[in-house]
Amino acid sequence: MSDAKQPANRVIIAMILLALPALHGLALTSVQPNRIVPGDAYRLMEIVGLGGALLLSLPFVAVLWLAWRPSEKRMRVIFVINIALLMALPWALALFCMSFVDADQPYARAGVGPGIWTLLFLLLLILIELRTRLQLSKGLQNMAAALVVGSLSLALISGWLEPLALAREYAGRREQFAAAVLYHLMLVGAAVALSLVIGFLLALLIRRLTRLQTPAFSVLSIIQTIPSLALFGLLLAPLAWLAARYPLLADLGVKGIGWAPALIALVGYSLLPMTRNTFVALEEVPPDVIESARGMGMSPWQVFSQVRLPLALPVLLEGIRITAIQAIGLAAVAALIGAGGLGTFIFQGLGQAAMDLVVLGALPILIMALIVDAGFSALAAYFRRGVVHD
Amino acid sequence: MKRQAGVMRIGVSSLWAWWVPLAWLVALLAMIQIMPDGEDIFRQIAPDNRSVIYRRDDFLTLVANHMAIVGVASLVAITAGVGAAVVVTRSWGRDFLPLVAQLASMGQTFPPVAVLALSVPMLGFGTEPTIMALVLYGLLPIVRNTLVGLQGIDADVLEAARGMGMSAIQILWQVELPLAFKVIVAGIRTSVTINIATAAIGSTIGAKTLGDPIIAGIINGNTAYILQGAILIALLALCVDSSFERFSRLL
Repeated sequence: MSDAKQPANRVIIAMILLALPALHGLALTSVQPNRIVPGDAYRLMEIVGLGGALLLSLPFVAVLWLAWRPSEKRMRVIFVINIALLMALPWALALFCMSFVDADQPYARAGVGPGIWTLLFLLLLILIELRTRLQLSKGLQNMAAALVVGSLSLALISGWLEPLALAREYAGRREQFAAAVLYHLMLVGAAVALSLVIGFLLALLIRRLTRLQTPAFSVLSIIQTIPSLALFGLLLAPLAWLAARYPLLADLGVKGIGWAPALIALVGYSLLPMTRNTFVALEEVPPDVIESARGMGMSPWQVFSQVRLPLALPVLLEGIRITAIQAIGLAAVAALIGAGGLGTFIFQGLGQAAMDLVVLGALPILIMALIVDAGFSALAAYFRRGVVHD
Repeated sequence: MKRQAGVMRIGVSSLWAWWVPLAWLVALLAMIQIMPDGEDIFRQIAPDNRSVIYRRDDFLTLVANHMAIVGVASLVAITAGVGAAVVVTRSWGRDFLPLVAQLASMGQTFPPVAVLALSVPMLGFGTEPTIMALVLYGLLPIVRNTLVGLQGIDADVLEAARGMGMSAIQILWQVELPLAFKVIVAGIRTSVTINIATAAIGSTIGAKTLGDPIIAGIINGNTAYILQGAILIALLALCVDSSFERFSRLL
């Protein structure tokens, strides 16, 4: 490991120069006596006093100093400090809750203020920067992620974070939350599965009937262009009419409001990325590979299932990834037309001006999107590597 | 010379080439004009409701407001997004390139609704927070595409420009940005399309947009309102998107 000094890392320095004023100047937390009454905001000085504030600035100043004359080793130290700060954050919040929220008042709650969100964001940016500058092994990255997630989970399980407003909102609707997450996932899963089947068949069809290519893609891109709220609205009237006309459909739950228009719209949106990627994936397989497979005496079905499909898999997975992420967001909008899912919390929260309820709905959606993104990217990378090795 | 020829071509066959966006525009204007008088038709869709035409604001106002919100947000996002991408591709800003590039691609996995919703606790209700959220989200595809465009330029081209004695500013304006223009426009198109859709949802946080009739219709169980809002939003989106499509073909 060389310890040669490099020029100052301006990115990390800039982040710390933003983080320090956020740490001291912005409200880190707030305390509300109940859900309705606006709370008192607390800054760092008001929480830990001058001495504590200076003490808590130390790790940031240390990172600043290390980034000024960075070396491989110093950057690794910054990485460790960063992870430690992220691990400490939930416990700092727990300490705050213990000393500032009156335990005898069941409705009193602590809010996470803009200061903490800003710090969190800046720390994550530093992590991204470190990841590109340092050659961190996959194992180390996973370990760091596990430490941060583990620390947060432990703090949540301990119950010390219970006075957090977000936790209070969750505690009030534990079952609803679980049902909403499940429902959201089911809606997204069903949409992705359906569009995978339809998109695949459509792609196969337009590969045969080349004349249909342009019109098919035009129609799909028109659907994709129509804003989600409008598409839900446009489906509402015909479905309501169908349900009124055919009671059997209504018994199945098909009506203007609910899962039916949501699922149809989600599938409609998913068809363009799915069909396009399947089409491109199948099209891009080099002809000479197909030729040689045929030359080896493979039947058309064998060529398709053993050569064309495996080679097309990475691009196909990319299509599923795009579709799934898009569907996670759109399913949230679908809550407006009564489709349920996590969007329900968002719009309920907006309606009641209960911001923590909004966050309770939006945060899991973000996390879901990130997990799906990371999962499919890893999967596609894995298959791509497999192809190269063969 | 080449540019001249392009202008000529637009001049001669312009109307015909633009027939798709024009058709959507005509349909949009016609709907704005006709729908308030379509009581009989909408009565059949929502027979049980007392009022079947959304009249809290007239449709033209809503369309104009929607366009204004998207327009302002897009202008800010274009300026900031192209600016940021240019800064991080200069030699003095290159330190920030990996971070900005990663952020722009990672940020796009965040659903726009979630961004819109999370902006409320920070910024509050109303039109300005909606615009802020649209700007934040709209930045990402523009930054990403501008980076792709600028980085895709052949190093030899830049070398040649430098060899001709062009200054850094001249190279940026006369070589880099024109060469990347097509990719940048594609990013702007993505950004604007998403913003039109997200602005409609902005109704739920108090912005006056074409989402209003839909939200009002959902709350009051009035399918006619919903349909009116949905038709206008859909036509507006199709009109704007097909204009971009047409425009990018000219490049």
